[in-house]
Amino acid sequence: MDLAVYDLKLHRGRFIATVIGVGLLFTIVLAMNGLYRGNIQEGLALIKATNPDLWVVERYRGGPFNEQSTLPEFYHYSVKAIPGVEKASPFIYYAVERPISGKSRHFSIIGYDVFGGLGGPQKIYAGRNIEQAHYEMVAHPKLGVRVGDRVPLGLHTYMVVGLTREAVSSDGEPMVYLSLSDAQEVLYQRDNEEVRSQRERLYRTLSGQSYLLPVQAEKLLPKLQPDTHIINAILVRLKPGINRAEVARGIEKWLYLSAFSTEEELQLMLKGRLASMTKQLLLFRTLLLIISVIIVSLVIYTFTMEKIRSIAVMKLIGAPNWVIIRMVMEQSLLLTIGAFLFGLALIHNTYQLFPRTLLIAPGDDLVTFIVAFAGGILASILGLWQALKTQPAMALGAQ
Amino acid sequence: MGILRIEGLTKIFGSGHLEVRAIEDINLSVSEGDLVALLGPSGSGKTTLLLCISLILDPTGGKIVFDGQTIFQKNGWAGVDMRRLRREKIGFIFQSHNLIPFLTARQNVLLPLSLVGLKGEKAESRVRELLEYMEIADRADYLPALLSGGEQQRVAIARALANNAKLILADEPTASLDTARGVKVMGLLKKIAKENQSAVIAVSHDERMIEGFDYVYRLKDGRIVGEKTNSTLN
Repeated sequence: MDLAVYDLKLHRGRFIATVIGVGLLFTIVLAMNGLYRGNIQEGLALIKATNPDLWVVERYRGGPFNEQSTLPEFYHYSVKAIPGVEKASPFIYYAVERPISGKSRHFSIIGYDVFGGLGGPQKIYAGRNIEQAHYEMVAHPKLGVRVGDRVPLGLHTYMVVGLTREAVSSDGEPMVYLSLSDAQEVLYQRDNEEVRSQRERLYRTLSGQSYLLPVQAEKLLPKLQPDTHIINAILVRLKPGINRAEVARGIEKWLYLSAFSTEEELQLMLKGRLASMTKQLLLFRTLLLIISVIIVSLVIYTFTMEKIRSIAVMKLIGAPNWVIIRMVMEQSLLLTIGAFLFGLALIHNTYQLFPRTLLIAPGDDLVTFIVAFAGGILASILGLWQALKTQPAMALGAQ
Repeated sequence: MGILRIEGLTKIFGSGHLEVRAIEDINLSVSEGDLVALLGPSGSGKTTLLLCISLILDPTGGKIVFDGQTIFQKNGWAGVDMRRLRREKIGFIFQSHNLIPFLTARQNVLLPLSLVGLKGEKAESRVRELLEYMEIADRADYLPALLSGGEQQRVAIARALANNAKLILADEPTASLDTARGVKVMGLLKKIAKENQSAVIAVSHDERMIEGFDYVYRLKDGRIVGEKTNSTLN
C-alpha cells in the first residue's frame, strides 16, 4: 500500500504547486549549467576557430581576448622575419555598439588580412568570404543580417557577402569580419568636425610654444596626428617541423613581444576572463540547489507534521518504522524527482529563447539529478526525525 | 485460557515530591469473548492503564501476561516485539476514530492487513467482509472526511477487527457520538466479543453505554475501587 502516493493524491494541488515552484528553481540550475558550458564554448570559440600556431601580442599582455594588447601594424613584418615563421598576419579585434537595422546592437569586429592572411572566418555557410579590400563584411546571423544587406559602420556602408556561425565573441555577441584597413577605419575614424577641432587644438598648443614659429607648428601637425595603423595581435603560422616553443622564445627575445600557443591562449581565457564567471555560476548553482533542498525539506516537514496523528496511529497499530520512513522519504523523492523532471522538460524546450547560448549537456543533467536526488534524501531528514520521534501514545490522546 | 492477566500493575510518574501514582496495584484478568469496561472520572488512571495494556507505556511495577506469555514483569519488557504484538493481536478503537485521512474507508481497513503482509484478493475479500459486517460496504471508497461520525467509528471498528485481534482496546469509543449512535457502537462491540471471541476492554465515562458488559472496573485515583460482574450487574 503506497501511503505516500495516497497522501499526495489528497493534497495534489499543493503537491503540483510545489513541484512547479521547485521545478522552476531546478530550471534555473539547469539553465546555469547550460550558461556555464555556453559561456566556455563561446569564450573559446574564436580562439579555436582561428587556431594559429602562435598568437603574438604586446609584451607581458595576455591578449588579444583576455587582455587589451596594442601593437604597431608593421610589427608583423618583423615577426615574419623570425626563422621558422611561414606566415605572420596582423589581427585586430574589438567590441562596438552600433545601430543595425534600426536597433542598437552590441557586437565584435575582427579585422584581418583578407588576401591570404590568418584570422578570417573558416566556414562560410551562406554567401562567400571577403574578396575585396574594402566595404565587404562577413557576419554572424545573430546580428540579424542576411547576405546582400548593407550595413553602415562609421563613415561607410559595408555589404554582407557571407555568413558564418563558427565564432562569437567571448561575451556571446555576434562577430563581424572586415578587412584589416576597414576594421581600423571603423575603430579609429572620427567625425570630420572632430578631426578639425583636434587639429586646431593641437595647432594652438604648438604655436603657443616659444621655441616654435607658427609655420613650424603647421608643418608638425600631420606628424602628430594619431596613428590608426594599430593592431592587437599577430597570428603566426610556422613552417612544417619547426619547434613552436623555440620560435616563441625567439619572438620574445628579439622583438620584445609575448607569444602564446593556441592552447596557452585558451588557458589564459579559462583562468582569466572566464574564471570569475565560472565561479559565479558555480556559486549560484550551489545556492539554488541549497534553496531547493531547504524548500523541499520544509514542505516535507509540513506534510509530515500534518499527518503526525496518523503516524502515531500507524505506530500504535504496529506499523514498523520502515513503513513510516518509506512514506516520508518517498514523498520527498517524488517531490524532488517531479520538480527535476519539470525543470528538465522546461529547459529543454526553452533554451533557444535565452539571449546567451545555453549548451545543455546530458552529463550536467545527470550530475544535477544525482545532486538533487541526494538533496531529496537530505530534505526528508527533518520530516523523518519528527515522524520517528512521534509517540504512538499520541493516538490515544496522550503526548 | 485468559488473554490478558495483570497483577499489581503500577505506574508512577516523576519522583520525590513530584511523584504521581497514576495507577497502583491494578489486578485484572480478561478471557476470550469477555467484555470489560473501565469506568472512572478524568484523572482516575483509565488512560494510563490503557496505555500500559497497549504496550506503549512502561509500567513501573507489576506483571502483564498476554496470551499466555509474560511480557512485562519487574525487570521490564520481556524482549517481545511490541509493535508486532500490537499489529497481530491487538485492535484499537479511539474516541476520535483516528482514521487515516488520506485513505478511503476500504484502504483504512486494508492497512493493518498490509502491515502483516496480507495482500491481493485475500486481503480485499477480508476488507469487504468486514465492511459488510459493519454495514458500511456502500461507503467503502469514501474518504473519512466524507463519512459521518458513526460511519467513521464503524470503519475504525472494522480496522480493529481486520487481523482477528485477540484483544480489542477501545478508548471512549462513544464519546464523540450521540446516544443512539453510541448505543449502536457498543452493541457492535458486544457482537464482536461474542461472535469473534475477541476480548474487549472499553474505557468509558458513560455508565449507560456499558450495559451488558461482563466486567466493570471502577477506577479512582489510580486504583480499582469497585468491580462488578455480569451476574452482579443483572
